[in-house]
Amino acid sequence: MGVKFLGQFLIDQGEVDASHVREALERMEDANPTLGELAIRHGYMTQRDAAQVSAAQRNEDLPFGDMAVEMGFLTSEELVEVLQRQSTQRLPVGEALVQLGYIEPDRLGTLLDAYKADQAAYDVVELDLPDGLVNHRATKYFVELLPRFLTRVARIEAKVGGIEAFTAPPDFAEVCVSVHVTGVRGLEVALAADNDFAEALAMATSGLAPSDLEPEMVADGVGEFLNVLGGNAVSAVTQEGLRVELGPPDYDARLADGWIVELAVGTGRAALVLSTF
Amino acid sequence: MARKINVLLVDDSRTVLAQLERILGGVEDLAIVGMARDGAGAIRMATEAKPELVLLDIVMQGLDGLSALRTIKSMHPSIEVAMVSSVGGDAHKAEEAFRLGACQVLGKPFDSEVIESLVENVRAAVEIRDEGAA
Repeated sequence: MGVKFLGQFLIDQGEVDASHVREALERMEDANPTLGELAIRHGYMTQRDAAQVSAAQRNEDLPFGDMAVEMGFLTSEELVEVLQRQSTQRLPVGEALVQLGYIEPDRLGTLLDAYKADQAAYDVVELDLPDGLVNHRATKYFVELLPRFLTRVARIEAKVGGIEAFTAPPDFAEVCVSVHVTGVRGLEVALAADNDFAEALAMATSGLAPSDLEPEMVADGVGEFLNVLGGNAVSAVTQEGLRVELGPPDYDARLADGWIVELAVGTGRAALVLSTF
Repeated sequence: MARKINVLLVDDSRTVLAQLERILGGVEDLAIVGMARDGAGAIRMATEAKPELVLLDIVMQGLDGLSALRTIKSMHPSIEVAMVSSVGGDAHKAEEAFRLGACQVLGKPFDSEVIESLVENVRAAVEIRDEGAA
């Protein structure tokens, strides 16, 4: 279940094992241009700029692209473009496995079709988002995948309402947990809920009976659900060729500003609050 | 009789640990030898408990799962480590985990059949290794 990359799918299907995927990744690393090479090739950076970025990476643990933006050698827009070029130009893992002889060439198409069918559950449509959220690619996945995951993980039926400007925390918010998505742009996503919804979610995510559910496990269960939702949203964004990271749940989330997405849920009350940073 | 497999569970969420414990509770000839809530605990318990399999989260407070994976594989190459994480579908994270020696990278929500199948694959690999060492 969940968003996965082709290598994982092929292992799950018993087509290859981890050592085959590891070997394919080595071949891809040899064949694929680095971000710096592509940025130079397209005239966004010079060799000298790239060398300075590499040197700075020895002192600060940042990916090349983020460091290049921080040092002013690339704009955020240029980084997104180069990342997308890198994603489209790279040798795919399926092709690498064929080159290595672990998958028959005429079988790859069938396996790719099966992979696409498996991942179709995570396809989302473009949403009509407020201006402030348009450039946050993770938003559409959080909003669209939320009801699907509530149904699948917790068997809670849910419908998503409109995205409105946030004015005040919802009066029912007894549990509030958030996760941060960082990358070129930052997004905080909070799930605010009453205790009925939070307990139902915690029981579903842990598999524990109500009598075994300690109070601290309720917020933990909501955090884990948000973590699963966020992880799949982030994974889907990376499949688009963008680089984003998900942080661990924050159990002291403060709802301050942004946008609120009301949820019509079968158990209790809940809303999603989206803020940018 | 099947070879007994000792498993270490690592996740910062008690909810996930409870969920994994429930899934693995149904697998015969398997013992959960420890649970850790962060990467540092994972490294310590892997050294002390010597499990055959570690199920390791990626995103955790403190030392993260990929850093812990690197250390565990360098100290104990024979321990199989499977990453079990909500960001398991992030190609960058999954590729890095495979490069560092993970035997599988599983996303969430959990699929209990996939986890059970992973355990059986590890059991088969350990049995072959035992025979080779005998």
